[in-house]
Order: sequence, then C-alpha cells, then structure tokens
Amino acid sequence: MSIAVKNISKRFGNFTALDNISLEIPTGELVALLGPSGCGKTTLLRIIAGMESADQGSVHFHGEEATHVHTRERQVGFVFQHYALFRHMSVFENVAFGLRVKPRATRPSESEIRERVMKLLKLVQLDWLAERYPSQLSGGQRQRIALARALAVEPKVLLLDEPFGALDTQVRKELRRWLRRLHDEMHIASVFVTHDQEEALEVADRVVVMNKGRIEQMGTPDQVYSAPASPFVYRFLGNVNVFHSRVHGQWADVDRAAHVEKDEALAFVRPHDIEIQRESSDGALSAGVLHVQAIGPLVRVEVEHQGEVFEVELTRERHNQLALVAGETVWLRPRNLRVFQGEQMVSSQTFDLGAGI
Amino acid sequence: MTRKSHRVLPGFGLSLGYSLVYLSLLVLIPLGALIARSAQLSLADFWAIATTERAFAAYKITFGCALIAAIVNGVFGLIVAWVLVRYDFPGKRLVDAFVDLPFALPTAVAGITLTTLYASTGWVGQFLEGVLGFKVAFTPAGIVVALIFIGIPFVVRTVQPVIEDIEQEVEEAAASLGATRGQTFFRVLLPALFPALLTGFTLAFSRAVGEYGSVIFIAGNMPMVSEITPLLIISKLEQYDLPGATVLAVVMLVISFVLLLAINLLQWWTANRHSGRHIENGVQA
Repeated sequence: MSIAVKNISKRFGNFTALDNISLEIPTGELVALLGPSGCGKTTLLRIIAGMESADQGSVHFHGEEATHVHTRERQVGFVFQHYALFRHMSVFENVAFGLRVKPRATRPSESEIRERVMKLLKLVQLDWLAERYPSQLSGGQRQRIALARALAVEPKVLLLDEPFGALDTQVRKELRRWLRRLHDEMHIASVFVTHDQEEALEVADRVVVMNKGRIEQMGTPDQVYSAPASPFVYRFLGNVNVFHSRVHGQWADVDRAAHVEKDEALAFVRPHDIEIQRESSDGALSAGVLHVQAIGPLVRVEVEHQGEVFEVELTRERHNQLALVAGETVWLRPRNLRVFQGEQMVSSQTFDLGAGI
Repeated sequence: MTRKSHRVLPGFGLSLGYSLVYLSLLVLIPLGALIARSAQLSLADFWAIATTERAFAAYKITFGCALIAAIVNGVFGLIVAWVLVRYDFPGKRLVDAFVDLPFALPTAVAGITLTTLYASTGWVGQFLEGVLGFKVAFTPAGIVVALIFIGIPFVVRTVQPVIEDIEQEVEEAAASLGATRGQTFFRVLLPALFPALLTGFTLAFSRAVGEYGSVIFIAGNMPMVSEITPLLIISKLEQYDLPGATVLAVVMLVISFVLLLAINLLQWWTANRHSGRHIENGVQA
C-alpha cells in the first residue's frame, strides 16, 4: 500500500509545524523522516496516521483519499517512542488486542487468535514472555512487543515514531537491523521518524531530511550524505568543515560573476574528504597541526588555518605514513567540496588526489 | 535465624514503634474498650439486642444506602474526574475547588440545605414530586442523596491523579489497532483506573456508613423505614441504654470491618494482577 501526502500544512498557534509538504512512499519502501526536534517530522507522521488533522492538504492511501478517515479505519500500525503498551494486560493480551476488538463478523476464533499471536511473538523472538506484564520487560523487549502488537492487525502501513529513541546504543543497533529484516518480510510501506542520522542512513531506503516544517532533501542515504542539497543537510548529516571564501579564497573561490555580494560563498568539506600533505601544491592551504587523536578505526586531526580550527579524519594507515605531530605545518587539499551561497549551491567539485586513503 | 537488613533511611524501628503506639491510642484502644464494654452482656442478651427487627431495618438502611451512594459516586465521580483532567473549559479551577466543598462543609449545613431543596416545597423537590411523583426528602432516597453529596470528593480525588498518569498515547495506540471509543474505554482505560476507582469507592462507602450529621435532617428518621444505625445508637444513648448502644456499635464495626477487608483483598488482588508480581514470584521461586 503506497502513501501519498499532498501539500500538507499544519500550524499550532503561531508556529508553523508543516509548510506545504508533499511526499510519496511506494509499497515496500522504508522511509526515514530525519530532522532536529521541532522540525515537524512527528506531526507529519501523526497526520499520516490520522491522529492529527492537517490544516490544508490531503493524505492518500493507495490512491484513495484518506484525509478524513478515522485512525481506527486507516489500518496503520503505529509504534510509539515510549511503547504505549497496555500496562494491565499481559504481553499476549497486548498483542491480541487488535484482533479482539474486531467486529464479531471479522474477529478470528480464540484458537486462531492464539496461533497468530504466538506466531508474532516468535517473529519478535519473545514467545517465552507471553504471560509476563509490560512492567517486567526491558525497554528493547517492550518495543518489540509494541511492534508485534502493531503487526497483529496486518496493517497496510507501518509508522514508527522515534521507535528506538528511548533505548541504549547496543539495543538500538540490534533493533535497527531487525526492523530492516522485518520490513523486508512484510512488504508494506513503512515510515519511521528519527533525529539520529546514523539510524536513518543505516536502515532506510530513502531519507527525507526535514527542517522547520519543510523538506530539505529527499534521496537515498548515499545521496543525502555525499551530495547534500543545502548547508543544513550538510551540517545535520555528519561532521563538516566550512571554509569561508573571504578567508580561504582558494577553495571557495567561485565564478566571480555569479557572486551576490552580500552572501558570502561557503565551501563545505567532510573531515574525511580532506587530504593532508607534507608538500605544498596547487590549491593547497597551509595549516598547523593542533591535536592528534585516535578514535577507533580513525585518527582525528585538528588543524588550524588563519585562526580557524578544522577537523580532518585519516585512516590509521595514512596516519602511520604521515606520523603527524602537534605543532608542525602541513598542507590541506580537498577531495570533494561543495560551495554554497546562502541556500544556493554554486559549485560541486571532486578532485582526484591519486592514492590517498 | 536472624537477618538484619540494611535500609537507606535510618529509624525504621523508631517509626514503627511510634506508628503502633499512635494507632493504639487513637484507634485500637477506643475500639477495644467498645468491645470490652459490650462483652459485659451475656451472649444471649447481645444477640437479642443486635437482632431486633428495628436494628435489622437500620442495618439495611445504613449499608444499603451507603452502597447505592458509593456506586453512584463511583460512576459520576469518575466522569467528573475525567472532565477535570482531560478538558479545558472556562472556570475549570473553580469547579475543581467546588469538588472539595463537601469535605469542608459542616454536615449539618449540608443536611439542612439538601432537605430544604428536596422537600415537597423546595426547588428540586417541587419538581420531583409534582411532575414525577417521586418523594425524596424524608425517605431512604433522601438518605442516598445526602450520602452522595458527602462522598463524591473521595472518588474524584483518588481517581484524578491516576487519570493524569494515563498517557494519551495509550488511547491512540488502541485507536490505531481498530478499537472504538467504547472498546478503548472499557478494555484499556477502565482496567487501568479500576484500582483507584475501587479505593475511591471504598472511601466514599466507609464515609457514608458512618455519616450522621447530614442524614438525620433529610431522612425523616422513621423507625423501620428511614432510620440509620448511627441514629439508633444515639437514641439508645439518650435513653441511657449504654449496653444497647454498644451492641449496635459493635455490630456496625464488625460488618464494616468485614466489608473493608473484602474490598482491600480485592484491591490487593487487582494491584497484583496489574503489576504481574505473582508471576515474577513464581518464576523466581
């Protein structure tokens, strides 16, 4: 079942939560709505679920208008950040709830309910907890139960609101992979909201980056990471160094004719897209090494150029070759940079530096 | 075998001792004296006084009216609490404050006011009697009205914080799973509220059983029809029939204690069921 959202706007008092959002999600796709808190991503998800109504625009499920359909008739599975399990029901009854409240005509028999619930509990690998109560489970277990409960009614669309937000790193990683597998088995359209860029890039087929009620960029995880469409996306997805044209002329020097005087050109370069060299070469900036720190598989080098501090990430091999020491002077060259003027991208360059990383 | 457990806060022994002494002085010793006093009678005498027809009628009125009033309060108290928590309307704080008035108002004032209102010449009574032919003041129905009045804050105040605790997400979750409003209420919300509702019900019921001041004005106090046990006790005292008064008091005490114990057991059972403690114990055992 595909989801289409057309020209949705939503205001809370003076605050614009969503500003003319349009989005299409085909069946089988897992989409991440990514953005900082307050960007409207949860509101959008709730509008899709029918828990919030939009001021303008429409929601379509599989081509059919569903803007004014009540949540209970939308057949969406919704997973909340804080699980929202029914405290007074056992795990089994929580999962069975959606089947038990069906009208008598379509309600499965008791034995069918039992069978389906146990199948789902096996799917989430928690069938041994069927008789427990939510208060006796860990956060990760609760969220898996919440997911099993949402899947019990065979939803056509699965919506997850920061599903792993309340869990610790180790459990998050495990659940992410597991969600991906589950989604592939179900063949439904899934949307999940997150503010964690790593999570979005790792799990989703497509990432929708949102900011201040607007969509900044849509694309595959690789597209949004390696070809950000705006300075916001650059900053939000991973670390980035910003070079100012006024100071670092060589890098952000773009076609002078295109210059709008009041907007300074900014060059964005990812830390791992900067190469450190010992010798000066054309287009290289000189910089002083401030600090060298090994973090896991990478070595982070802080360098200083014209009073500003930049981060460079090297592989351990490259660092071993260079053997950088704090205080020495090196030369920086970009491997990949994009220049923006205001919100507008004015150039994108890739340099072949030969054998580097 | 002695096992000394360490606690975070010191003074467990002291506070326990204090609690026991305090409770003994204020509750146990007076009740003990009451029972001791009645023990001066022979069992046959005791039985004879406790089971007179008039006493029976009084028990029935006392506990029956208290039960009806507590049930009514359970339903409407829940609604009031729900409205106060979930909806915003002008004057909400004022209404919230009104709920506590029956706590503070002298019961005699409540009784006189209700009587004036519900008497056949009163604002409400006129309508009820004239149009519906239903007499409230000076009948058991009047007793129920008075008991509802004094009992409602108990239900509202115990249920309110629990409703505040229920996340709206739980309702949304139920709706997304296809539950109707009714199903959400009866299957999700009510079970979560039930322990608190039971506590409120118990408090309202206990208060109603012991109520005297407001009831005597509206009840009419006709023996066998609208006479409550506390009034019967007072009238025995006024006739210097001390043994008779203590017998009735002991009977009330025993019935109340048995009822409260039963409700407490029910409460303990539901609370356990909800947290699933019995299963945990079973697993660990």
